Amino acid sequence: MGLDTPVFRVFRGSEPPRFASPAELECAKVLDYYGVPWEYEPRTFVLEESEDGRVTEAFTPDFYLPEQDLYVEITVMKQSLVTRKNRKLRKLRARYPEIKIKLFYRRDLERLAQHFHLDLAS
Amino acid sequence: MDDRIGEIYLSAAELAARVRELGAEIGRDYEGREPVLVGSLKASLVFVADLSRALPILHALDFVELAGYGSAQMGGHEQIRVLKDLDLDVRGRDVLIVEDVIDTGLTLNYLVRAFELREPSSVSVVTLLDRPYRRLVDDLPVRYVGFVVPDELFVGYGFDLDERYRELPDLRLLRLAGQVDSAAQV
Repeated sequence: MGLDTPVFRVFRGSEPPRFASPAELECAKVLDYYGVPWEYEPRTFVLEESEDGRVTEAFTPDFYLPEQDLYVEITVMKQSLVTRKNRKLRKLRARYPEIKIKLFYRRDLERLAQHFHLDLAS
Repeated sequence: MDDRIGEIYLSAAELAARVRELGAEIGRDYEGREPVLVGSLKASLVFVADLSRALPILHALDFVELAGYGSAQMGGHEQIRVLKDLDLDVRGRDVLIVEDVIDTGLTLNYLVRAFELREPSSVSVVTLLDRPYRRLVDDLPVRYVGFVVPDELFVGYGFDLDERYRELPDLRLLRLAGQVDSAAQV
């Protein structure tokens, strides 16, 4: 998907990010604005495998903040989809207890934006 | 009053009592020193004024204001912009940043780093409200917390609604149309 991406100051990945949604792009701009280094989808976590070793469920968090050693998943969606993401996060934490991950909600972006009119539809 | 303004979450009396406690605690910790209280404008203004009067030690006051992401003052800048810098030289001084609320910690992280470049003796933070469960940046010198609050929006006691109602003495809940319930527990 081709969202126009600006030049980022503190992006730490090797490949130029190709964001899947406007909300991800907005979050990247927020992190860049506040000077917090970030990577985009640097790692995929296997959540479930079949008996013959095939991956049947995986999860790729949207962002990784190396200075915080923290993965961040963006969600600006309705509650049912948030619930699905929460389930994946619980699975990830159970299988990879050493990994730190947080959901970044629409309200987090709105608070940082200091107003309530950001277009974050995705 | 605006019908988006809801019930009282913290009364003026509860706020005053907690601010007095914070003032006493900070006074003990900084006894014999003369810290610089740095208010982060604008929402912290009322808290700074009350905290200053609750502090039983000598201290200086200063203010800083950053353009928030997406704000009109941002003016198309892609990196954070300081709208008002410190007037005082804080080199060798104890700096106590006074925040209205800490959520992700992104703004505060910027402030702390910016102040540390000025070689103060120390940098600590006092915040009226805290939402530690929303933190993205954890490594922050938050030493004093007034209240840990739920994932709600507030108005009054310095917090505004379209630049109004900062003067309300109580902290009230704010209800906005289309407000997304982001309090789902993971």
